[in-house]
Order: sequence, then structure tokens, then C-alpha cells
Amino acid sequence: MNISFNPWVWVAAFLTLSMMSFLYKDNIFYKIGEHIYVGSSAAFMLIYLWYFDVKPKLVDGFMYNTGINKWILIIPALLSLFMLMRFIRPVAWISRWAIAFTVGMGSGLGITGLLQGFLVPQIKATFLPLYVHGSNTLMSIYLSLNNILMVIGTLSAIVYFYFSKEHTGPVKKISQVGITFIMVAFGASFGYTVMARISLLIGRVYFLLHNWLGLV
Amino acid sequence: MKREIPLFITFITGVLLVIALFVPHKPFGQLQQTFNDWLIIVGGFTMILGLDSLLLHNWEKIKRKKEGWISSAFLIASFFITLFWGFGEGAIAHRSPFDPSATFLRYFYTYVFVPLQATMFSLLAFFIASAAYRAFRAKDGNSTLLLSAAALVMLGRVPAGQEVAPWIFAFVLLLLAYYFFKEGSKTTGTQKTLYLIGALVSILLIYPVFYILLHYLNGIADWIMNIPQMAAKRGIWIGISLGGIAMSLRIILGVEKTYLQ
Amino acid sequence: MRDFLRKAGNIDRRVIYLIIFLAVALTILFKIRFKSTPLPEVKRSYEIINSLPAGSVVMFSIDYDASSMPELDPMLRAMLRHCFEKNLKVIMLGHWPLGLPLGQIALEDVARQYHKKYGVDYVFLGYRPGLQAVMLNLGKEIRSVFSTDYRGTPLDSLPMMRGVHNYNDIAILVGLEAGSVGDMWVQFANARFNQKIILGSTAVITPDLYPYLQAGQIVGLIGGLRGASDYEELVNHPAIASAGMASQTVVHVLIILLILLGNIGYFATRRGK
Repeated sequence: MNISFNPWVWVAAFLTLSMMSFLYKDNIFYKIGEHIYVGSSAAFMLIYLWYFDVKPKLVDGFMYNTGINKWILIIPALLSLFMLMRFIRPVAWISRWAIAFTVGMGSGLGITGLLQGFLVPQIKATFLPLYVHGSNTLMSIYLSLNNILMVIGTLSAIVYFYFSKEHTGPVKKISQVGITFIMVAFGASFGYTVMARISLLIGRVYFLLHNWLGLV
Repeated sequence: MKREIPLFITFITGVLLVIALFVPHKPFGQLQQTFNDWLIIVGGFTMILGLDSLLLHNWEKIKRKKEGWISSAFLIASFFITLFWGFGEGAIAHRSPFDPSATFLRYFYTYVFVPLQATMFSLLAFFIASAAYRAFRAKDGNSTLLLSAAALVMLGRVPAGQEVAPWIFAFVLLLLAYYFFKEGSKTTGTQKTLYLIGALVSILLIYPVFYILLHYLNGIADWIMNIPQMAAKRGIWIGISLGGIAMSLRIILGVEKTYLQ
Repeated sequence: MRDFLRKAGNIDRRVIYLIIFLAVALTILFKIRFKSTPLPEVKRSYEIINSLPAGSVVMFSIDYDASSMPELDPMLRAMLRHCFEKNLKVIMLGHWPLGLPLGQIALEDVARQYHKKYGVDYVFLGYRPGLQAVMLNLGKEIRSVFSTDYRGTPLDSLPMMRGVHNYNDIAILVGLEAGSVGDMWVQFANARFNQKIILGSTAVITPDLYPYLQAGQIVGLIGGLRGASDYEELVNHPAIASAGMASQTVVHVLIILLILLGNIGYFATRRGK
């Protein structure tokens, strides 16, 4: 056993155990830890805003840029100022201008990104040959079957989520195929989610046993 | 004015970006780059929206000594300590708080912030285990399929899973055979025959399932992830993307205005 | 017997918590290890980085925070090791403010072990808000987004950055993802600028990234702690991820047994009714 003598490691261990105490029941240690996390996150964002946004982009921009590149910064500076107006009730409405800009940008980027970066390449990738020539007959069957399954799975999953038409007759049949694929996908996702959650616990337990108690 | 100007701004920025995708030349390409640059600046300020209500709400709790005011005091205190520590590092030590030698990064971030956040999310491990135990029931065909896919992936993606999985699945088949047999013994006629056939099939499946899992489980998990799982996810995400595009269009065209409230 | 089965379906949640905690702690404590062969998509990622000529630039994007650190931090460290061993240059930036320092700490740590020099072998750019806007403008000129590094040093003063202007100068982009930023890298850096991308992701979002892999929009995928442990094995430096995989196996088996127990209890009760 090689227990840590670093007081900061003890602070971290105390905070870790405080948060874990919630598993027994909600208590003041957990609540305090949770509130410290929220409070410091908020302050952290402010520090980030200054060091990685306002300082390099606005302050340095005004100081070192020249000509039009300097004066055009007035527009984003004003929009940023408008955003802060949200904190002052009588003029809070002006923050809508800045929000409108970010929402407009988000929507425009959203459309173009999804169209060019998702829909077109993904639909293109679904146009698969339904017969693939493999190294032997068994391989050909296997590869072809995989491609057929990929096409059927994608199309039927889309049909399952298509609610503009009542699911009766052939649509119902296809959507039933879709739900089969979706169940497999959700099962896989659940398996992976379990894996992720356990990993997080492994990380904390490793910290307690290794960094704090020095047992491993 | 209070509504028209924001709607106009949204329309102009949104339309410009869509045009710039198809006509990336002057002036659209350049305008897009400028607008992007502005978003980089303005976008940062969205991070602090809600800060006022967070602080005021907790300050009110302290002032009125409402239930949980001690935690609120910790929230306010940690907010200001973090703020002063971060900015103080720059003002006093003349270095960025994100410099590797900065005390802010070495002590506060590493030993206070990270353990809190990491442990808070690690609790989910316990909750998911408990929830799976409580809620995951093989009630019908679909849920059995989900459960089987989950088990195959969970075991197929961990080392030694391939050695353990055959025993678990063999045990499940044995249980199934027992269940069918017990149910069958309470019924008569065709139903009884069907139950007994079910029990027999379960027993007959034990060896092939055991053999296949022992030799091919990792490959099966790979196949699930790459073929049926991938296909369904693609279908789901194509649907979500179409919805996202429709929503964005509604916003740009001014049909959707909730963000102005 | 039936009573026992019913009880089996109704174990107190705290008992389950204790079992899970002990399973994780004991496997770590007794240093249990299981061997596994790397997943094909992880091996492919390794081979792609391995095939880069010395001096190529690899850009890392830190898009996670402490909530997913146990999965992505070992992955990052293993990949950094690989890059520095191959004498590749590393640029780091990120889109998750609360987690970006984790990337920086790992970068400094691994660089120190390989005696790499800041500005010559690696650069830390930091963070800018705006996500997709950042990704798009990086495609034109990195300096339009980051005129300086995180310390305020102009990029042209850093030797390794002199010839690096946009995605054309970056051999591989490695996105370490805990959310949707990876999708954006694909949709903007890959779709618009043809940037080759490897995504390292938390296990939660990994299944959602397989469509990109099949479509060739990403060239490699490293998923969850398993992916991290595979990469550690590939670079011959088993560390925390590899140590954790035994716990992962034990807890997965336990959870499956718990689900089984829950179902036995459920069917016993149903039959009783």
C-alpha cells in the first residue's frame, strides 16, 4: 500500500466519495459537491469566454488588425453586446438580434451540413450491388446477403418512422421488418451504453485504488 | 420592429449559407467566411446565457434561508473562487490559467473539477445495472430480440466474452426448455404438443448455439454492428436529418418563431 | 422454490450497487487481465496513422470532458504515443470547453515522455466557439480562426505551423468524441474539404458512427474503452484501458446474469398469477 500524501489527491478522493454517497441516499455531501460543480462550471465558461474568444478575437483583433478587418469587428462586437443585454430587462429585447443571428447561422449550417455531409453520402452508400462476387460461392452468398440486408434494413427503418401514411397493408409489413432491425440496433446501443457507463466507474475506482490508496 | 428585424436577420443569414453551399464563389463564399467569423465571436456569449438566473436564484435561496441554502452558498462561493482563481492567474502570475504550469489547471481543474464531474457521471453505471435488472424483460419477440442483440454485443465486445457467452446462452436455453416443459404439463391437446416441441427444440439448440458462440461470437458481434445495426441507424438518422432540415427551413422562413420568446 | 425465484426478481438496488462496485474494485485490485485481438476498425485506424510519413501533421480535436474521460483519455494518450513514436507533428484543439484541458494535460505529458518540443513537434491551439463555423473556416485558413496559439504566440512564430494553413496540410484529423461534434467534423471537414477522419468515441455514440464508416466518410473508428485498450495493445503500451477491460468483462457478465435473474423472477411471478 502506497497511500498518497498529496493533499490535493485527498481533496479529489473526498469529493469522489461525496458524490458516490448519493448511491446510499441523497445527502448534504452530494448536494454540496453537485453545487460546487455547477458553480465552478459557470465560472469556467466565463474564463473560457475571455481567454479563447473575447481576448483573441475581439480585443487582439481591434489592437492588431488594420483597415476594414479592424472596423468590421464592430458588427460582431455589437451583436455580442446585444447578447449581454438579455441580463438588463428593459432592453432585453435587443438580445433577440444576436440570438436571431446565431439561430440563422445554426439553421443555415444545419441544412447544408446535413444535406451535403449526411443525406447525400449516406443515401449514395445505400446504393449497393445486391450480388457481390466473392472468392468462393459461400463468400459470394455471404457478401451479397450482407448488402441485401443493409438495403432492406435502411429502407424499412425509414418506412417505420414514416408517420404521414397509416401503417396498413404493405407499409405495415415493411415497417414490421423495420422494427426488427431497429430492435437489433437498440440492443446493440444498449450493450454499448452499458459498456460506456461501466468504463466511467472503472475510471473512478481506479483513481481511488491507484492515485489515492496506492493499492494498485 | 422587435420581431421583424430578428426574423429578417435569421432569414438573411440562413439563406446566405444555403446559397454559399451551391455558389461558393464571390461574394457568397467570402460572406459566409465573414459570417462564420462573427459566429465564432458571438457564439461564445451564448455560453453564459442563464448565468444571471442561476446566480440570482441561488442568492435568493441564501437570503431567505430556504431549504438547501447551504448548497446554494457553496455554489456561489465556488463560482467566485473559480472566477478569481482563473482570472487571478492571469492578473498576478501573468500567465494563462490554461498554461500547464498554472495552478488553476494543475490543482483546481485536476483535483476539484474533474473528480466532481467524472464521479457524477460514473453513478450512471450503478443506475443502468439496476435499471437493466428491473426493466429488461423478454416479454415478446421484439424485446427478446433486443435483449439477445444486447447480450451478444456486450459479451462479444469484451475480452473473454467468447468463452463465457456459450455457458450463459446454454443455461438460458435450458431454462427455456424447463419453462416450456412446465407450461406444457399444465395444458392438454395441441397446446401441450407445441410446448413439448418447444422444450425439445430448446434442448436440441444447446449444442449448436454453444459451439457457434464459442468459435464465432466476436465475429457475430462485429456483424451485428456493421450490418443490421448500421442499416437501422442509417435509416433512423436519415429520418432525423430530414426532420432537422425541415425544422431549419421553418426557422429560416419565419414559420418557427419560438426562439424569439 | 417459487418464493425464492420471486425474491430473486426483487433484489434491493443498493445490493446491486454494492455487487457492481465490488466487481469493478476487485478485478482492478487483483490485476486480472484478459487478452483480446484488436477490432478491425481499430486496427485500420492504427495502420493508417502508422503509414503516415514522418513529419505529417495529425490534428486532434478534444470533444469530450471529464464525464467520459476514462474512455477517451487512454485512447488519446495511446494515439499520441503512436504519433510521437512515428515523429508525426500534432496540432490540438477542441470544442468542449470543460474538457479541453484534459487533452492539453495528456499532450504535455506524452510529449515530455518522448522529449518533444512545443512549437516544433506539437502545438496546442485551444478553443473557439462556433463549432461548424470553426470547422469551415479552418478549411480556408487556420489563422483566420486561431491567429495565435493558446498562449497568444502568433502561429507563424511556431516552426511547425509555418507550412500548415488548412486541411490540405493535415494528413489525418482525429476527433475524440463524446457527443455530436464528430458528426459535424464529418459533415463539414470531410464532406466539404475531403479531410480524412478517424473518430475515437465513447461507447454510447459509437453505434451511431458505423454508418459513416460503411460510407467511407471516416477511415477509422475507435469505440469506447475496448477501442482504447485495443489501441494501447497495438502501440505495445497497455495502460489504464487495458487494465479496465477485465472489470468490463466481469461487470458485463454480472449485468447479463442480473437481467436473467430479473426475468426468472418475472416469469415465476407471471406463472404464479
